[in-house]
Formats: sequence, structure tokens, C-alpha cells
Amino acid sequence: MRVWLWSAGVLWSGLAVAGEPVPPPESNVNSRYTVEAIELAREHDARISSGLRREMRRLVGSRLDPSAVEDLAREIRRELRARSVSHRVSRGGAPDRVRVAFLVSERPARFEISVPKFLYQSRQGWSAGVEATSRVGDNGFTFGLISDGDELLERFAGIQARYERRRLGSERVGLRVLIQSFHQQWNGATREAAGEGGTAAANGDALYRARQNFEPLATFDLAHPLTLSAGVSFSRLEQPLLAAGTGAANAVVTNLRYHRRFEGSGSQQQELEAGYGLRAATRALSSDYVYSRHRWHFRYTLNRGRHSLIEEVFGGRISGRAPLFERFAAGNGSVARGWDKFRVAPLGGDRLMASSLEYRYRWLQVFYDAASVWTAARVVPQKAVARHSVGVGLRQKSFCLAVAFPLKDGRSDPVFLLGMNY
Amino acid sequence: MPARVSRRACLASVLAAPLRAAISAERLGLIWEGDSLRVAAPRLRFIAGPSLERLKDGASVTYFSQLSLSLDGHATVQARAIDRFVVSYDLWEATFSVAKLSGSRRSASGLSAAAAEAWCLESIGLDASRLAPERPIWVRLDLRTERPRSEETVVGESGINLTRLIEVFSRPASEAQAQWSLSTGPLRLKDIARGPRGG
Repeated sequence: MRVWLWSAGVLWSGLAVAGEPVPPPESNVNSRYTVEAIELAREHDARISSGLRREMRRLVGSRLDPSAVEDLAREIRRELRARSVSHRVSRGGAPDRVRVAFLVSERPARFEISVPKFLYQSRQGWSAGVEATSRVGDNGFTFGLISDGDELLERFAGIQARYERRRLGSERVGLRVLIQSFHQQWNGATREAAGEGGTAAANGDALYRARQNFEPLATFDLAHPLTLSAGVSFSRLEQPLLAAGTGAANAVVTNLRYHRRFEGSGSQQQELEAGYGLRAATRALSSDYVYSRHRWHFRYTLNRGRHSLIEEVFGGRISGRAPLFERFAAGNGSVARGWDKFRVAPLGGDRLMASSLEYRYRWLQVFYDAASVWTAARVVPQKAVARHSVGVGLRQKSFCLAVAFPLKDGRSDPVFLLGMNY
Repeated sequence: MPARVSRRACLASVLAAPLRAAISAERLGLIWEGDSLRVAAPRLRFIAGPSLERLKDGASVTYFSQLSLSLDGHATVQARAIDRFVVSYDLWEATFSVAKLSGSRRSASGLSAAAAEAWCLESIGLDASRLAPERPIWVRLDLRTERPRSEETVVGESGINLTRLIEVFSRPASEAQAQWSLSTGPLRLKDIARGPRGG
């Protein structure tokens, strides 16, 4: 434990050094000049999204805002997957006018290794993944190893491979193909509640020992910033106690996502993110499980100087007989932090309502979570019980170290969380 | 007959060159003005090199300064003053603007590079009202530019990029940040030149 705390301290201090204070935009004397033109080399301009191109054009005619220009450079780098994007401001054609030129440095090595997510939760242990990505033109090939005991009711460990193509005929259409193969470990409480897959199998609660998934998905940029992705997911479950030995959960997958940032006056900035996802498993796809799973979320962020306020609401509903990996869990690293998901609902639930309110000042964060997960579609329905928790922590970018306290009857049973992107 | 120079002497001369440069570098000048100790370094050029290039590209450059006072040869710091300045270059007027972002905020514009440097140094000071005039003191000025915000983010939406992390740690420090250090001492307060408001 001491070693991990020391590692966290080292990583934290490294991230802290990177976060030096940013001078206010008015301290740049050129912010009084009007932007005459934004320049990006033609070969790079052809590869960015139309939404980003619109964002660039929006700066023309307005006063130079160095932070907005830096945001654009960051976004160009992200879309082009370039090594770096710098910018140069120069005199324009008329007095008091300036031109902004973005200079793209392409990535010489198109191979990267990254850690997309990791989490240590004092009750659940470690969850982490590591990925290697190779890019050839617009094509990305990723191979990863993962062991995750946080997100679902199962601990799934195994490999996944992903193929991504950002443009498929049109810049508005992309393609992603995901292949996963996992082995499962089950908590004692889940095993007990599921009755080792015997009678519970009828409810879809059967415990499987392995799961494979093949998921091709097309993404459409409907109207920036609204995107739609649609495809199919073919999941194969290996169940030790079923006569057939395997089960299939084949579903149509649809996700709708909206994400927009609003620049306010001064240092105020608002961000809105909303999404809806549907997974509908049907006999038409030769699925043994027939169900529909809806999940929606809404997130609003208000940034003002060093203060941030984040409100997040999400919910879900499953109808029909769904396998355990589709059921909702509360009491993990993102929903009702501080609770034990196996005590809240060892088999998860087919209904979820949750919200989280978080305040951040620089590195400090305090949060309040409330969630309820329950099962409605059973012979004996479970009651919806609201779980509340509060927490405090340190956050730098997506890296977080927090302690969460479930609000129970007169007891304080803290849970420690250390991780990133969970 | 030309004098013979041994290889050892030649090597010693080459190795000693940087040392000589450091020794001959400018010492920090001090001015006692009112109750404050102010600094003077007319030959120090910090608006230069990569920082100047960034300024001429329309970016602003932040400088952090630390003036520290010691009574025991820089072993322990008795008092320190930390300041932060933002310099930018007016692309149309070809002059520099400076803003002090710490303590009492103030700014100046329409300056040459040397005037902007002098303005920053004049804004740096330490309270010397409690110092005994006969006591020996050592004073040191450290100045550095901000670390340029790298677009090659190590931590991003896709998590920790190990490839970029290796690249960042492999990069020489001088590429990322410029820094200067001037010091003086031992000297006594009563021997320091009095400024316009000197007592």
C-alpha cells in the first residue's frame, strides 16, 4: 500500500508540474487586434472535420483570443493525430489586423503505447488496461490487454483488438470494428445470488466463464456536434452449467451523442454533453437473449476561473432477459462512489437512476453522489433504494485521488479511489 | 621558438572554458531604496533566443523570478520574493509590453527589449528593513521562463501515452525552459549604493 501511495505521489507531482498557471489573455498585447485570416496547409485542412473548420472560421473578424487559438491548435492536433500543432501570429494586410497560421508537425512514429484507464478501489482492487496502436493513413489498429473489476458486476480480463477508420468515403462517416475475448471472475455475493447459474438462468442471471464479442460500428457526423453510431454486437457467452454450453446475445447497437462547449464572458465556460444508447437483442440476429437496454446521460459543466461545477445525471432501463454484463451496477468508480456494488445489488439491476454533483477548485474536488439500482422485471420485484455518498479528493486532468464515504446509518466506511479515466 | 603546450594543458584549458565563462558572468547589482533591496543587472539579456522567437510569433512569454536573501552564504534562505511577469510583443508597433501578475499588479507598454528587461528587474525587490547594516548578506536572483505548454500531451482523453512520456523524459531540459541565475555576497547593507529614496 505504501509503495502505491508513493507511486501516486510521484505521478501526481509530475502532473502538477505540467499544470503551471496560464496568464490571462489580456496580458498579450496583440489581443487588441482583429483576426484577418486563419491559415492551415491545404493537405491538413482537407483532413479536419467540417465542424472544426467552422470553429476556425468563427475566429476571423473577432479580437485575437490566445486561449481560443490554443484550444483550436489542440483540437487540430487531436483530429489529425499529429505530433504537435503550433501557431504563429503575424501582421495582416491592414493595420490592426493579424493572421494566425497553424503549423502541423506530423507524427514520425505511428506506433503508440498508452494506458487508457486505471483504477485502484480499496474494495475492488485494481482495474487497468494497456493498448498499443499502429496507424497507417486513416486506419488505426489497436491491440490491448485489460483487467476490469470496476465497471460491470464481473471482473473481465482478456484481450481486445480494434480497427478504426476515421473517414469512410466521406469525412462524416467513420468505421470501428471491435473484437474482444474475456474470461470472467465472479464475486461470492454474485455467485450466491445467482445460485451458481441454476434457477437464475431463466432470469438471464447465469454466470458465464468466458465472453467473446465482435462489434462493427459506423459513426455518422449528423450535424456537428451531434454524432450517431450504429452497428451490431455479436456476443458469445460460455456457460458452464447450460446444456448447450454457449449462449448468444446479439444486438443492434445505436448511440446518439451531443457535445458542445460554450464560451462565456471573461473566464466563464460551459460544456454540455448528452447521450443516449440502445442495445436491442433480437431473435432475428439468432440471439438466445431477447432484450432492449436503454441508457442515457446528461452532463453539464460550468467553469469560471479556477472554479468548476459539474452536474451529471444518468439512467437506464432494461426490458426482457439480458445477460449479466448488460445489467446496471451502482457502487463502482463512477456511480455511487463509496458504496460496495455487491452489497447494493449483487446481480445488478434492470433500472438505474443516478446523479452526481461535483465542485472543483484547482486540484481540490468535493462530490455528492446519489444512485438507485433496482430490478422491476421479476416475479418478485426489488424495491428502489436511494444510496447517497460524499467524497473529497485531488484531481489533475483526468487523474484523480479521492476518498468517498457512503452515507449509512451512523457508520463511516470510507473507500479510497486512485485512478484515471474511470 | 614557439612555446610548447602539453596535451594535458590543452585539455585543462578546454574543460575550464565554461568555468571561466561562469566566473566572468555578471554579478548581481544591488540598490538600497527606502526599506527595500532592489536588483540591477544591466547586462542580463533574458528576452532573447527561443523566448524572443516565441514573442515575435505573437505568443506571450511568462517569466518567474525569485530573489532570495541569505545570511550564511546561500546555505539557508532568510527571505525571498517571488514574482511573475508576462511579456508580449506588439506585432504592429514592434515594441514590448510587460505585465506584473504577482503582488501589486502593474504594466507597461511601448518598450524596447532592454527597457522591458529593466522594467522587470526594477519591479523585483526584498524588504530589508529588519536587516542590521553591518551584517554580511548574500543575495541571489533566479529567473526562468515558463515551461512551454506542450501540445504533445502525455495525459489526454486516451489516457496516459507511454510513448510520449518516454519522449518527454528523453528531451534535454534546455529545450523546454531557459533559466538565469545571478548572485552576490558577502556584502554589508551599509556598503550598498543608496537609491533615490535611500535612507
